[in-house]
Amino acid sequence: MQKAERLLDLAAFLLRASEPISWREIQEQFPDDYGGSEEAAIRKFERDKAELLDLGIPVRWEAGDEDRSAGYVIDRDEFYLPNLDLAPEDLALLYLAGSAALAQGSFPYARDLAHAMNKLSFAARPAGASETAALFTRRLSCGEEGERARPGDGGVGARLIEDLSAAIAAKKRVHMVYDGAERGARTVRDVDPYGLYQSGGAWFLVAFCHLRDDVRTFHLGRIAELEVNPAAPRTADFEVPAGFPLRELATREPWEYAVHAPLSCTVRLEPPVSPEARASFGRRARAREDGAAVVIEVEATHAEALMKHVLSLGDRAEILAPRSLREKARTVLAGLARRCS
Amino acid sequence: MTARAKPSSRARASVKADARDRLRRVLFLVPYAVRHPGILAKDLARKCGVTEKELADDLDFLLGVGCPPFAPDDFLDLYVEGGRVHVALHQSFSRPPRFTESEAAALAAAAQALGGAGTDRAIRALRECVPRDRRKSFDELVGRIYAGSPPAPGSVLDRLHRAIAERREVRLRYFTATRGAEGDRVVRPWTLAQRFGHWYLYGFDLARDRPLPFRLDRIRECTLCDARFEPPSEAELAGARLFSDAQGEPIRLRLSPLAAAWALSRPGLSLVERAKDGGAVVEVAGAGEEWATRFALSFGGDAEVVSPLAARRHFVEAVKRSVARY
Repeated sequence: MQKAERLLDLAAFLLRASEPISWREIQEQFPDDYGGSEEAAIRKFERDKAELLDLGIPVRWEAGDEDRSAGYVIDRDEFYLPNLDLAPEDLALLYLAGSAALAQGSFPYARDLAHAMNKLSFAARPAGASETAALFTRRLSCGEEGERARPGDGGVGARLIEDLSAAIAAKKRVHMVYDGAERGARTVRDVDPYGLYQSGGAWFLVAFCHLRDDVRTFHLGRIAELEVNPAAPRTADFEVPAGFPLRELATREPWEYAVHAPLSCTVRLEPPVSPEARASFGRRARAREDGAAVVIEVEATHAEALMKHVLSLGDRAEILAPRSLREKARTVLAGLARRCS
Repeated sequence: MTARAKPSSRARASVKADARDRLRRVLFLVPYAVRHPGILAKDLARKCGVTEKELADDLDFLLGVGCPPFAPDDFLDLYVEGGRVHVALHQSFSRPPRFTESEAAALAAAAQALGGAGTDRAIRALRECVPRDRRKSFDELVGRIYAGSPPAPGSVLDRLHRAIAERREVRLRYFTATRGAEGDRVVRPWTLAQRFGHWYLYGFDLARDRPLPFRLDRIRECTLCDARFEPPSEAELAGARLFSDAQGEPIRLRLSPLAAAWALSRPGLSLVERAKDGGAVVEVAGAGEEWATRFALSFGGDAEVVSPLAARRHFVEAVKRSVARY
C-alpha cells in the first residue's frame, strides 16, 4: 500500500474506533504494511505516527486500566480543528494579514500559510465581510508575477525562502554561496539558520556563520546557491541560543549596525513633516517639536547610514550634529552638484 | 534553489513533498466538500489550489482510502456528477485537522506584521488550535519569523479591522504627501493590501467619488462612522488597482558598483546596462520624479537620476536645494 493511503487509512481507523487499538490489532489490519520483523514494523509505525503529527493528527498511546484495554487512540477533540473563538475584527486581522502575506509570492512557510488560510474558513464562521475583503487583498497585493504562482512555487526567491523555512523548523545546517555587497566577494559558507525577517520589502536570514564564527545577517537576494543538509532530517543539527533576539535584530535601523562607537546625532525636519518621515527614524529616536518643525535625536553606530537616510528625505531634512557628519553630507551633496552641473 | 543537490535527491525530495502536500490537501478537500454539498469541481479545485485534472486524481486516490476491515462501506466515497462533487461517505473526515505548528506560526507572523490590539488575542487563539504536543514548537517558530513592524498605531489598525469586518465607513485624518498637508477623508474601507513593503487601505473615497489607496503610515487618526456600506460590486473589484498602470517614460538611474549591488536586489528595478567596473544603469517603471530623487539620494552620492530630462532636472534641483542647507 502507498504510504499516503496507509496514513489516511490509519487515521480513519483510529478516528472511528471507540476503544484504544492495540499494536497487535493494527498489525492484523495492515498485514502488508507492518509485517516483517517486529522491530522494523514498530519503527515504521513510529515514523508514520510522526508524519501524522506533522499533518496535525496526533496519535497517542493510552495505558489501559480495569475498564479499557491499552492501545493507540486519536482523540477526536485533539484531531478536529476547533472553532477559533475570536471577535470579527480579530478575524479580519488574520484574514487580511494572511492574504497579503500569501500574495507576496515569497513568505516563510508559504505553502503552510495557504493551508492555514483554507482551514481558517472552517475555524471561523461566519467570516463574511472579512473573507471577501481577504480575496480582494490577495488580488491587490500581488504583482502580475505573483498571480499565477502557487504558494512556495513562485520562482527562485520563493523556493529559497521555502527551503530556509524548512531548515529553520528542523534546525538543519545550510551550505550556501553568498555574494557579499560591501566587499563584493563571493563566499561559500555553512550556517545554522536561526530566523528570517523582512525589512523594506526584502527578506533577510539571521544565522550563525561557521566561516565568521559569529551571528550574521544575509540578504536573501544575494544567496546564489543553497543546500539544506539532507542527512538525518528529523535530527536537529544545532540549537538556537535561548532568548535569541530576532526581533531586535530585525528592527535595527541601518544606522544602528555596529560599525563604530555610539554617536549622538541630531536631525531637523522642516514643516510640513509627514508622519512617515517622522516615524522613519525608528522607535528609539527621540523627537521634539520646534514650532512646526521636528528635531530628532538618535544614537548612531553607523553614522554614514543615517546620513544617507537624511539625504533621502530631501531638502526638508538636515543634519545638525555632529559637525563631522554634517560636513560629510555637505561634501557628498557638493560632489553630486558638481557632477550634475 | 538547492542547485548543489544531486538531481536524484532533489527529485526524491520533491516527490516526497508532493505526497505530503496531497495528504494535507485531501484532509481539507474532503471536509470542504462535505460542508459544501454539490460544489462545482472547478470551484473545489480552485479552493484547493490545483487544476481540475489534479482534483480528479485526488478524488481517484481517495476512492482507495478507507479503514479496516475494508468492507464496501468502509471506504471514502466522493464522486463527480454533472461537474459537481458529492460526498457519500466521509469516514470521519468531516472537519480538517488542527493547524500544524508551521501553518499557525506563518499566520501568526503575518498577523504580527500587520498588528493591532487584536494580534495577541489572535495568536493565542491560533495556538489553541495547534495539537497540544506541538504548541512548544509553535511558540519557538513564531519567534523565528519577523515579517515587519506594524505600519500604523494600534488604535488606527484596530478600527480599520473592525470597520472592514462590519462594513462601516471611516473618517480618516490623512497626510497627503503631494500637498504636504493633512485633511479629513470619509472612506468606505474595502480592504487592506501590501505592496513593496508598504501597507495601504484601499477604499472608496466619498468626496472624490472613486476608490483610492491610502498609505497606512500616513493615517494619523481613524474614527468609525455609523454608516454601513454594501460590498463593492464585481465590476468595481475587477477594475481595482492599487496603483494606476505605469505611465510615461521609465526613470533611469546610474549607480556606482556598491549602490548597484544593493539596488539590484530590490523588487521593481530592471537592469539596463552593466558598466565594466560593476556599476549599472537601472530603470524603474511607473515611479514618480520625487520618488526617484529620494531613491537616488538614499545611496549618498553613489547614484544619480539620468533620464528622462524632467526627472533629471528634478534631481538636480533637489541636490542644489539640499546643498544650500549646508
